[in-house]
Amino acid sequence: MYLLNAPITAVREVARGMGVVSMEAPEIAATVRAGQFVNLGLAGVFLRRPFSVYRVDGDRIEVVLKAVGVGTAGLLSMVPGDLVSCLGPLGGGFDLTAGPRTAVLVSGGVGVAPMPLAAREARALGMRVTWVHGARSSEELCSEADGDVVIWATDDGSRGFAGTAVAAAPDGDVVLACGPNRMLAAAAERWPEAQVAVETYMGCGTGVCLGCAVPLKRGGFDRACKEGPIYRAADIDWASLPAHLPYAITA
Amino acid sequence: MTADMGVAVGGMTLRGPVLAASGTFGYGTEVPLLERRALGGMVSKGIFLRPRAGTPPPRIVETPSGMLNAIGLQGPGAEALIRDYAPLWASWDFPVLVNINGESVAEYGELTQRLDGVPGVAGFEINISCPNVEQGGLYFGNAPRAAAAVTEAVRKRTKLPVWVKLTPMVTEIGVIARAVESAGADALCAVNTFVGMSIDLNAHKPRLSFRTGGLSGPAIRPLAVHLAHQAARAVKIPVVGVGGIMRAEDALEFLVAGCAAVQVGTATFVNPRAIAEIHDGIAAYLASRGYSSLADLPRYLPRD
Repeated sequence: MYLLNAPITAVREVARGMGVVSMEAPEIAATVRAGQFVNLGLAGVFLRRPFSVYRVDGDRIEVVLKAVGVGTAGLLSMVPGDLVSCLGPLGGGFDLTAGPRTAVLVSGGVGVAPMPLAAREARALGMRVTWVHGARSSEELCSEADGDVVIWATDDGSRGFAGTAVAAAPDGDVVLACGPNRMLAAAAERWPEAQVAVETYMGCGTGVCLGCAVPLKRGGFDRACKEGPIYRAADIDWASLPAHLPYAITA
Repeated sequence: MTADMGVAVGGMTLRGPVLAASGTFGYGTEVPLLERRALGGMVSKGIFLRPRAGTPPPRIVETPSGMLNAIGLQGPGAEALIRDYAPLWASWDFPVLVNINGESVAEYGELTQRLDGVPGVAGFEINISCPNVEQGGLYFGNAPRAAAAVTEAVRKRTKLPVWVKLTPMVTEIGVIARAVESAGADALCAVNTFVGMSIDLNAHKPRLSFRTGGLSGPAIRPLAVHLAHQAARAVKIPVVGVGGIMRAEDALEFLVAGCAAVQVGTATFVNPRAIAEIHDGIAAYLASRGYSSLADLPRYLPRD
């Protein structure tokens, strides 16, 4: 775990209202695994906010986000050279060591965040990657995709499959999913063994505040920031995990 | 010149005046970036005799200059603490106080008895101020007689230092402070979180599943400085100031206002190095003013 003042190197738009922010964080870039996240200090909000690492390019890491409040809007409007306090890498990553032949990466909206790294790791292990990405409409789809097969899904049918990413996806030896919790709950119904990256409010990101509680099927809670944020879909008590977090008012 | 940062407080000799506050530092095994030399001591996450699952999510929500939390004292219980953490603490070079909780006076006593004498347990911080449990917690904190009864129950079962963490949710903190002082407390910690609420305007209900939560962070600091000062005026035992300390200057406010030491909590969530930076900042302040030790820092503490 490192705490860096990371210089911003670039910001680019990848969908309507959604941008990718690149920053120089060599120690994190060298060690981060797909599914891990960084906790960024944002101007105008008090607590750090967690972001899955989207891509790694040399010494740089990238995060993807939508402007939902002053903190995220400020991050998206940063210019090269601005500094952002970056804590990470945090949490555990996807488990891709098993070596099956096909990986299906299913994401909704900004849930695309951990998928480019996952695609890279899966391909490095010799897997064939199917990339399935959904959003409400074509303008909200992340324009960047990375798969041997790419499937688009939109709720309004404006591009690709008309319906959810989960409905559009084929089966695979390994299924990875990230998106709103209600989407992940649907993924859990279809693929109990899927590895899902959950969304929770988070305080410290380091395991001490116990704020990011994830309700488990076996009872009790554990921490998205430590034991998570990647879970076996069947292990989560989906009915007790808030389906929607109103980040708009807090980030 | 380097100022002497050592301080004697509530039956303990600490190498520095900055402690990690309960519930913000786990059991000391996480927060890997902190330089431990800066820790005067640590207070463990609050523990009950038996394991507790805690409250369902959402447990935290950000508020202006702070946060609300309702964790519900999730914890593994006394036996797991003794087995998994106390042996580590016994080898550390700073003292660990265990934040103890109960649903009854008898349960506080039973927990103390179980932990007393366990190597690694250097003292107790009695939590009579947690707003996030249905039974106990805050109930004991705002009734002087109940606060004294809990303190006595713990005091009778240990010779280790006994600190009592006070709630701000009282009409006059001095009354509670004097009650627990009379019951045998070695020090007071002032203050725990304020009870607050935040409403989701889409769902038309509280944002926290527990409905209410404890407010912490810089939002409460001036309130906490005032209450710690009032407590310090009311008693002869030392007061450990806590509430919204983010920087050395904030800690120094509590110290000048009459506190013997401070606890840093929520700041650690935002900056894992906060405790070290605050410790070093206090030392730099003392040196820059020509004080050779923390004891030389002028205090504003007219006695009641």
